[in-house]
Amino acid sequence: MVVLIVSGTTGEFDHDCAGHPERPARIEAVMAGVDDLRLGTDLEFVLASAADRASLERVHTPSYLDELAAFCSEGGGDLDPDTYATADSWSAAVRAAGAGLAAIDTLRQRDEGVAFVAARPPGHHAVADRAMGFCLINNVAVAAAALAAEGERVLIVDWDVHHGNGTQAIFWDDPNVLYVSTHQWPLFPGTGRPLQIGGPHALGGTVNVPLPRGATGDVVRQAIDEVALPAIDEFEPTWVLVSAGFDAHRADPMAELALSSGDFGDLARVVAAFAPRPGRLALFLEGGYDLGALRMSVATTLGALLGGPYQPEEPTFGGPGTEMVQQARAERVAAVRRAQETAPSEESSP
Amino acid sequence: MTVLQTIAVGFDGSPDAQVAARWAFQLAGQVGVDVVVVHAVGLLEHVAGTGNAAELEDMARDLAAEAGLEPARVRWHLADGDPCSVLARAAQSPISADLLVVGSRGHGARAGLLLGSTSHELAEHSSVPLVIVPAGRAGLDH
Repeated sequence: MVVLIVSGTTGEFDHDCAGHPERPARIEAVMAGVDDLRLGTDLEFVLASAADRASLERVHTPSYLDELAAFCSEGGGDLDPDTYATADSWSAAVRAAGAGLAAIDTLRQRDEGVAFVAARPPGHHAVADRAMGFCLINNVAVAAAALAAEGERVLIVDWDVHHGNGTQAIFWDDPNVLYVSTHQWPLFPGTGRPLQIGGPHALGGTVNVPLPRGATGDVVRQAIDEVALPAIDEFEPTWVLVSAGFDAHRADPMAELALSSGDFGDLARVVAAFAPRPGRLALFLEGGYDLGALRMSVATTLGALLGGPYQPEEPTFGGPGTEMVQQARAERVAAVRRAQETAPSEESSP
Repeated sequence: MTVLQTIAVGFDGSPDAQVAARWAFQLAGQVGVDVVVVHAVGLLEHVAGTGNAAELEDMARDLAAEAGLEPARVRWHLADGDPCSVLARAAQSPISADLLVVGSRGHGARAGLLLGSTSHELAEHSSVPLVIVPAGRAGLDH
């Protein structure tokens, strides 16, 4: 199997803010993790070009795109208390979105392998008309929307420690995209309850499993097996995209889940099994702010997809959250049943 | 017409947020309603050692006292999220605010730009009336 590392920003753009955790060194850590695997001919690099305007407009409003480009061209600044933009950020963001498009194009041409989109800024918090949570353009959403526009059925699995509110909102009522998220709760951005199940044309098309602080890898796997798997089986995806944040690692400073890098290897094997055939799996870098953990986690994830033995940390077990997963399953089942019987309630808004 | 019962004011401790809070507290005192002071906890604030919520709460309660509002009429509400989303959600349960109050610019935002302006974004997304208190305004009587 070939691993494609698709990069949008190889130090070419200055999307950086002193002291901010979403920084260029994250990509260096990812690349160091790739190097650790010594993949040789199993590894190929693809350098992407900027996403085209039509692809961006499938996800974001034209006015937001215009305003963001203008904001950056005027030097940038703070878009909210968390999210910065520089003069180069527009170029970096559209190149990161382009990396996702290049990943799916290349996989489709080859019909084999997996792609890892090693690009930043990350994307899953960005909504149609607003940046937030370090995210400017929703990279995974741009790729998923491109696939859905061609009639594909796209599963997005988001294992970042934060809920991907932007991705959820963008595909809220789209029956061609199934969004599955496991995330710490309560935590930024404050969305991602099990009751949020999708819009009237996509009831059940959003699957949220909140987890308590301290949850370990076995609990995340339980969440996917017990809550998401029925929806995934029914959906029958033709493509699988992963919002691969690595900030659920126990060393990450942004949150308090307790996964090891070994858990990401296990999760990678689980989601790879959802892809209908080779060449239909792409992972997108989202969060992950402890550089050592990020390096190990990326290496373990890619190693697992290649079937190799690389696993510097054992998977974790025994943390809290089993009851929360069971509760999420019960709430989701009840919400879907209620929504099928009546009009969607306020509780089920994105 | 909706009877005003609860005012929610966004508060990040910035000078503009203080002006907005002072205005909201004075209005609440005059019409006899409660104020919920809402603070959005973002990604960076969650990082250990950078949170300042307790200091902000003290600042807000001091402003309420200066405005003559009874302590029992002031509630402090922390919520995870970006300021726009958190304030928009204040119109829903459990806060159920029927009026939102914000300053014209928060911490870090650049004057004159719409992008990155919580007040501008709320004007588009809020489901209840919104008051944007201009910077430098001293209170209801000025």
